[in-house]
Amino acid sequence: MASERIPVYCYQCVAGPDLLKVVVEDGVAVGVEPNDDVAAEHPAGGKVCVRAYGLVQKLYNPARIRTPMKRTNPRKGRGDDPGWAPISWDEALDLLAGRLTRIREAGLVDESGYPRLAVTFGSGGIAPAYLGTMAAFLAAWGPVDQGIGSGQGVKCYHSEHLYGEFWHRAFTVAADTPRCELVLSFGYNGDASGGVTGVWRHAEARVRGLQWVQLEPHQSVTAAGATEWVPIRPKTDAAVLFALLHVILHERDWRAVCDVDFLTRMTASPYLVGPGGYYLRDPETRAPLVWDLDRGRALPFDDPRCTRPALEGGYIAAGVEVGADGAARTVADRVRPAFALLREHVRRYSPEWAAGVADVPAATIRRLAAAYLEHARVGATIEIDGVRYPHRPVAVLLGKTVTNGWGGYECCWARTVLAALVGALEVPGGILGTTVRLNRPAQNRLDAVRPGPDGFMEQPLNATARDRWQGAPHVRNAYRTLVPLADDSPWSAALGPAHLPWLFMDDTPAQWPAPTVPDVWIIYRTNPAISNWDTGRVERMLERFPFIAAFAYTQDETNWYADLLLPEATDLESLQLYRVGGTKYIEQYWRHTGWAIRQPVVAPPNDTRDLTDIATELAARVGLLDRYLEAINRGAGTTVPLKGPDWDVTFPAATSGPPTSEDIWDRVCRAATRSLTAGAVEHDLAWFRRHGAFFVPFPETRYYLHGAMVARGLRYELPYQERIMRVGAELAARLRERGITWWDAQLDEYQPLPGWRDFPAIWRGTASAAGRTPAEFPFWLLTSRSMQYSWGSNVSLPILADVARNVRGHFGVMLNRGVARGLGIAEGDLVEIASPTGRTRGRAILREGVRPDVAVALQQFGHWATPFARELGMPSLNEVASMDLALTDATGSGADLVPVAIRRM
Amino acid sequence: MRWGMVVDLRRCVGCQTCTIACKQEHALPAGTQWRFVADCEVGEYPDVRRVFLPMQCMHCAEPPCVPVCPTGASRQREDGIVWVEYGACVGCGYCAVSCPYHARHLVHDAAGYFDRPTPSEAASARPERHDVMTKCTFCKERVDRGRQEGLVPGVDAAATPMCAVACIGGAIAFGDLDDPASPVSVLVAAGRAAPLMPECGTRPSVYYIVE
Repeated sequence: MASERIPVYCYQCVAGPDLLKVVVEDGVAVGVEPNDDVAAEHPAGGKVCVRAYGLVQKLYNPARIRTPMKRTNPRKGRGDDPGWAPISWDEALDLLAGRLTRIREAGLVDESGYPRLAVTFGSGGIAPAYLGTMAAFLAAWGPVDQGIGSGQGVKCYHSEHLYGEFWHRAFTVAADTPRCELVLSFGYNGDASGGVTGVWRHAEARVRGLQWVQLEPHQSVTAAGATEWVPIRPKTDAAVLFALLHVILHERDWRAVCDVDFLTRMTASPYLVGPGGYYLRDPETRAPLVWDLDRGRALPFDDPRCTRPALEGGYIAAGVEVGADGAARTVADRVRPAFALLREHVRRYSPEWAAGVADVPAATIRRLAAAYLEHARVGATIEIDGVRYPHRPVAVLLGKTVTNGWGGYECCWARTVLAALVGALEVPGGILGTTVRLNRPAQNRLDAVRPGPDGFMEQPLNATARDRWQGAPHVRNAYRTLVPLADDSPWSAALGPAHLPWLFMDDTPAQWPAPTVPDVWIIYRTNPAISNWDTGRVERMLERFPFIAAFAYTQDETNWYADLLLPEATDLESLQLYRVGGTKYIEQYWRHTGWAIRQPVVAPPNDTRDLTDIATELAARVGLLDRYLEAINRGAGTTVPLKGPDWDVTFPAATSGPPTSEDIWDRVCRAATRSLTAGAVEHDLAWFRRHGAFFVPFPETRYYLHGAMVARGLRYELPYQERIMRVGAELAARLRERGITWWDAQLDEYQPLPGWRDFPAIWRGTASAAGRTPAEFPFWLLTSRSMQYSWGSNVSLPILADVARNVRGHFGVMLNRGVARGLGIAEGDLVEIASPTGRTRGRAILREGVRPDVAVALQQFGHWATPFARELGMPSLNEVASMDLALTDATGSGADLVPVAIRRM
Repeated sequence: MRWGMVVDLRRCVGCQTCTIACKQEHALPAGTQWRFVADCEVGEYPDVRRVFLPMQCMHCAEPPCVPVCPTGASRQREDGIVWVEYGACVGCGYCAVSCPYHARHLVHDAAGYFDRPTPSEAASARPERHDVMTKCTFCKERVDRGRQEGLVPGVDAAATPMCAVACIGGAIAFGDLDDPASPVSVLVAAGRAAPLMPECGTRPSVYYIVE
């Protein structure tokens, strides 16, 4: 028997990639196993999680789309069979290329200013690891709308992504778990969503004695490993976070317990704030002023004469305030340091107040605050690789639904301020960013630290100034127009308000360019008819799309509406080189960085084609081959240019024809290895096929932004959000100049010191909007992460269901046992879950670890077309959740939270 | 020599990676799991703990499943591994009834996951397991093959049960309970590892660390 072990990477979840080997016997893949070859480099010993063990079944699943197919039934609808007819690849590519050519002839942008070509990739953050060179094709194409959402972006850690990068280059935020002593986790479910490296780090830390307090409405997988569970009321996390700030700043001597030096030197705490709410600035240099207690006068923050900046008090000082659109106002008045305003701001948020809001006892809040301060070890230091850092082993983590939708900004701000108070921001033991997606360079976030205004980091924001604001949306979710913090990186379209296209196509708001459906919509590894809110509405919109080309693994609820199905070459069937290592979300902290390969492990069992070959072929058929190869030469999609200071493996301008996938990736392999070694090492594709991955060391000091901030003399833009306030005022002015008022509620979020609003009431309000009363819907339906299913595109695999059934919550709805008894609901009973706008149903799973006012449905199901998944009978929050502007926050996100009624059927 | 296992529950997150890795290693049919991680609750709201508890054959030193077998198919090796000689098993189920840990699985129909076997299922098929009792073998083939190659079970992955190799929390240690220097013996000797339901008197070879 011929047996071999073929190295590949697994990036089925955003916490990857991890590395594995596929066991192939006599040309048949029979299993996967950890990659021991990289045990020394991989932070979790080269292991892979449960999802990777489903890859072989994914490869051989008989329910796959096996060949290209085209629709024969022109009528689109859930009840209308598409009438798929098998066609050849040549006909399929001709069909798609023909549509694309017609776009180029008609003009790339339609009469409303939107790109005629739209592309949606699913599984936020994962798709690039499976895209081959499709990104290079899109770069060669020109304007493409990548903002038609599939739930990615708006259902992610949205506020954390946008504000996290703004404050500390943290697209996601992690604890420095190996050096942390206490974690206060508000719904962070890292043992389900943190991937292999997350689980590994947490396990090591628990054995070491890490204290982990889990505050969430039901006991998640992560709560099982926690030292304490605090069943907090949904969407009230900000209240408890504010109360923690209150205890530290008002019930304790903040001068004794806080890291005053950090606050003074590393934050804007001393910056003086004028009566208009903007920083008081030097009239000439416009530098923010601080009050020097030694000299008894205001000085620019960076004036070396300033020896003792004030953090509290009020002072009479003169200067200018610069508001929206550069409006300068001369001030000679009483001004106060930002820190003093912070203290005043949180004075109202006592633990007793928070207890009433969040159902968390005041004594618990005080105890957690005390533990936080005790473990913060203010003053302690630690040496790492010869560099001495502050050591602050405390972290506050936030989970999904906490970090997105209304209240997300408030939670993220309070969490980051809590870190700043004790100096636990971007230092060993504290909270750290993982990666950057809005800032550049993308490969290392420390290199993205550049001096910006007012002593802070530079942060690119979408313009709001009168002469630079982009009032006409360039894509259908209008992220440049409506969301300054979304920036304009390649990731921004997915991080804009990606559900707005679905909303606005159906219901165009006033003073807004008529939303159009794209002429061609290409989708890959995504199923928005399941993963968006209000799935019925999405399907009704899909019926109107004139041409959908779907890369398809199986039939599913979105590609049911497609015109062309292109069978997907899955994880183990296609070729790609991808960056691994360094620091990455969710908790990937490596001591190496490098590249790993994904490669076909067997001959394809179906008539599939590598996505790189498809991209190349499309480029050739629509006359873009030269531009496509130029894009590959630049590194579009592959992230490594084929020409650098020490290498040149570019495609020549006049190439002999479309290159093969192997030719392209061979060049990428060689450029990638050269780029990591200053040209010293070059490995080709054949080498990667054998060895799997190539690494160079990545110093641990690159984990901590602190070093870069100190080296550049920069401060964190905390606690006062002057720039946010100004940007919000400018955006408000721009929208009002256009007569737009439907975004007014979102504009209220741009507060310099975010405060409590009754966030749950915003969702409860959906009842009144539907002509019902909130009292009719006394429960909250929430979602929670399943490690077996999150991001995996694997709901059609029965082996995953086989093992997932062991974890409570699969496949039904979790209810509090005592409450269920009162409703006459027994284990396994079929229950209906009704919201003001929809209904779903599922089997009751009774648990003690669920708040009495909460029901929990894992992940996103509700399938009716996907093979096997449609038999699971899993309730879906998305079927009952509204897609509603009123539930959309200023960053353009919402949250998985629905007021519902529950009854036995 | 007595092979044993120590499962550190502090490290387990119930991910079922061990479950699926075991299924793959032994080509178990749909619905059959020689090991799984139970998702348990202790207490009542709000004073409740969620606990993940990996369950499998305990490879008891005094296994009740062996003497009750009418055909002698249920056997115990000198190294403690309890196993089934499929050719001698008639599938009567006495052993399953006797096992206090519900760790035996009678496979009547080695069904695949789909209407027809996939290529991987066909290549891995184990027809000798039809209509007989099956159970965790401590991956004795891996252990034996590894030892023949000079590897150390519990240290070298190729000689270690697949559940321990795959576990992403590092929760599963394997080794020789008779070797005081082995990782499992050290953990047991430290007094922090205890068997499940010792009152059954079967002297399990699988221990758990709880706190």
